[in-house]
Amino acid sequence: MNDKKQTIQEQGSGAIPAPILQVNDLVVGYGAIEVLHGVSIDVREGELVSICGVNGAGKSTLLKSVAGVLKPRSGSIRFKGNEVGGKKPENLHKHGISLVPEGREIFPSLTVGENLRIGAFGRYDAKRYEADLADYFELFPILKERYNQAGGLLSGGEQQMLAIARGLISRPDLLMLDEPSLGLSPTMVDLIFELIRTLKARGITILLVEQNARRALEIADRAYLFSNGRIEYSGMSDELAESIDITSVYLGGNNGGEIL
Amino acid sequence: MKRNNTADENTLAAASLGSRPYFNFSSKWSTVVLLVAILSGIGVFIWWLNIPFIEDIFTSSVITLISVLGFQLYMGNSGILNWSYVGYVGIGAFASAIFSMEPSLKAMQIPIMYPFLQKLHLPFIPAVLAGALVAMIIAAVVAWPLMRLSDAVGSITQFALLIVINVLLSQWAEVTNGPRTFTLGGSRQTTIWVALGFAILVITFVYYFKESSLGMKLRTSRDDRYAARSSGINFVKVRYQGYVTSAFIGGLAGGLYSHYILSITAGSFYMSELFKLLSMVVIGGSMSVSGAFFGALIVTLAQQGLRQLELGLTRSGFEAYGMSEIVVAILMILFLILRPNGVTGGRELSLEALRNLFRPKQYTNNNGNKK
Amino acid sequence: MSANIFIEFVINVLSMGSLYALIALGLVFVYGICNLVNFAYGEFITVSAYVLYFVGTFTDLPWWLVFLIAIGSGALTGFLSELIAFRPFRGRSLDALLVTSFAVSIILQRSFQLGISPRSRAVPVPDFFNINVSLLGVVTPLRNMLLIGTTIILLIAVLILMRRTSLGIAMRGASENFVTARLMGVPANLVISIAFVISGILAGVVAIFWSARTGSVEPMMGSGPLLIGFISVVIGGMQSLVGAVVGGYVYAFIANMLSLTLPSSLLSFRDAIMFVIVIAFLVLKPEGLIRGKYQEERVG
Repeated sequence: MNDKKQTIQEQGSGAIPAPILQVNDLVVGYGAIEVLHGVSIDVREGELVSICGVNGAGKSTLLKSVAGVLKPRSGSIRFKGNEVGGKKPENLHKHGISLVPEGREIFPSLTVGENLRIGAFGRYDAKRYEADLADYFELFPILKERYNQAGGLLSGGEQQMLAIARGLISRPDLLMLDEPSLGLSPTMVDLIFELIRTLKARGITILLVEQNARRALEIADRAYLFSNGRIEYSGMSDELAESIDITSVYLGGNNGGEIL
Repeated sequence: MKRNNTADENTLAAASLGSRPYFNFSSKWSTVVLLVAILSGIGVFIWWLNIPFIEDIFTSSVITLISVLGFQLYMGNSGILNWSYVGYVGIGAFASAIFSMEPSLKAMQIPIMYPFLQKLHLPFIPAVLAGALVAMIIAAVVAWPLMRLSDAVGSITQFALLIVINVLLSQWAEVTNGPRTFTLGGSRQTTIWVALGFAILVITFVYYFKESSLGMKLRTSRDDRYAARSSGINFVKVRYQGYVTSAFIGGLAGGLYSHYILSITAGSFYMSELFKLLSMVVIGGSMSVSGAFFGALIVTLAQQGLRQLELGLTRSGFEAYGMSEIVVAILMILFLILRPNGVTGGRELSLEALRNLFRPKQYTNNNGNKK
Repeated sequence: MSANIFIEFVINVLSMGSLYALIALGLVFVYGICNLVNFAYGEFITVSAYVLYFVGTFTDLPWWLVFLIAIGSGALTGFLSELIAFRPFRGRSLDALLVTSFAVSIILQRSFQLGISPRSRAVPVPDFFNINVSLLGVVTPLRNMLLIGTTIILLIAVLILMRRTSLGIAMRGASENFVTARLMGVPANLVISIAFVISGILAGVVAIFWSARTGSVEPMMGSGPLLIGFISVVIGGMQSLVGAVVGGYVYAFIANMLSLTLPSSLLSFRDAIMFVIVIAFLVLKPEGLIRGKYQEERVG
């Protein structure tokens, strides 16, 4: 099976700085099952890179491997030039990798404030923390309102905002979002994508895993389309959006004969 | 996710719900034959040696083997460690003793015993079987609501059950003579041949239980509860049946034990005994009958060896009691870390396995390259 | 019921309950974070009791220093046992953990028998522990009052730690969702070690008061407190610290009630009855009396 992997030339000239995240030929599995069969992506500083594809294509697995939750079987993960594959999640967090997990995974019995406080555990600076909090209260007013309420009492959308804020509060160098729109109402989804757009505008480097390919491609700079643990397509998101039959990828079709 | 059944076995389990015979006497008979042969061989040899003290050790080890087999039956197939198991061994021990002892003896030893218990009198083997039956019935009554529980709650519940049984056995003076020793008196009825005979039966039974449709259903439930349910397997009922069967064998072992050692207390069926059984299945391997077998063998040998060492040390003035258990416990932890499936790794002893052991593997594919 | 009996009952329940609450707390700290039911916890207590015996008998140190050393040894025991025996099993199934902690328990028990003595040894108790005080007409040894007081102080300390410090918040988060906590930079090893150390400190305190009551230490003495801890934790709910504490007091209450009300013929079965209650709890209400972990609802 051919990988119809297309890398499209970067526009513009000049030396291109090394990507902040470089994944090469990553192979990851669970027990007897191999999920990623040699995946290579990179993310440059300030970019918003999106990873799309159907359920089970391996997108979350990729994020989890970068975050240290899963150990790769082979291949390399380089962050800021250092090899980080297989390192512990808490150490990677210190290096500046922050994952907002699929399903939010906020701590239900901890208050909003406590959830946020944990988010900064590995990289805490009191003054910065206070300043950041004030900032996030503007971005996510709901957090200020519910600061002392248990996380479990928040609605899905509010939890997602909390999870994102929690992921940001450590001022990571790379923010990874795993299916942020999953299970949310359409209004909420709009809000979340607006939020992501705002974050990108602030220069935060984002790696976004998102099943909703259309919306993801709208805001991303570049995108990779996953299928069955491999990359099927990659390139600038606007070009991808135009040329690829989105529904076919969305529904997992690799029927051959797709136009590019 | 490591699956201990192959995909084929899972399909088989589902398919067996209608079409397959209840027992599957396939070509795997070699395991039973080999295990029985080894055990009998050792037994005959030891009987021929005619050293009473070694014969005693062997007899009691065989009884322990029966006990471990019952334990493995449930644990290996359901994946659940039954923390209450030794309680049923104890129940079998006391119940069979009450059945087999002469009423006048009972009246003398435990004057306050309930009359209906005191009057019971059965010959040896029926008494042992009846004792096992009592254990099984109690398991059947008590365990049904507990089968649904899983993981932490399930384990702790079983452990609590063990404690309840222990307290009852050690306090219910009208039945068990309370905390005092219950002496059976008379001569030892569990001879080396009785023990061997029962062991052979139990090995065969436990092995074929594993190969039976019930065994396979249990294993399917262990590996994937939801897949099992969708194949129509009621995992609660299947666990229940396995648990109750296991209790029967435990009770059997208990009955044989009490007629071997001739005086019992509740304390012999509690933590130390549980620990011994655990160490055997961990070291030997909990997934297979051969695992239980060899686990029992290894631990017994280790314990005997260490005990000789203990005695030797004590004689030279160095108080060494308890050392053997420490060593076995450390061994157990090491095995859990390094080789959690035990020495046998879930496999059974069989002609095939032996052949593979002695013949170097050579697989070549069509290109003539070694695989 | 006469006022005296009532007050005596209350004092018994409070002092027993305090001890039980401490034991339960020590168990739950570890269980909450690593899902490990520490069978060897009784032996943590025994270690500290032996330290009390040795230091108290063979040195002339002031009692408060002896106590401190005993508590310190509890902390050390917790730390070392996690490092050596439990860390290799992180992430393994519950049964594997149970079996390991069981094995550690046996190793420690036999080591005491071997290394020290199978027979009990007298533990020196400071004199003032046994001074009788009169409270509302009831006479009780001072140590009961000290026990209640110490427990209150410790509970407040734990509360402050868990609610007000970032470490405590991290530990609470880790006990709810270990993986996610690590994603936030909470170091796994640190959090687990600290849980064990706290568990060990509590074991040390329990050892002081337990051995003061019996006046002795012997290799198997850990099984009593362990069972008590078990029952308390199950009653109160295995998920939360508050639950463990409540469970301890409730257990003390039930046990005292049974002692008062059971006909003497059934008294020896008191423990069996307690455990039947435990089983009933586990079957009918496995989350215990106190709902600790918030049940997350996925909405919207």
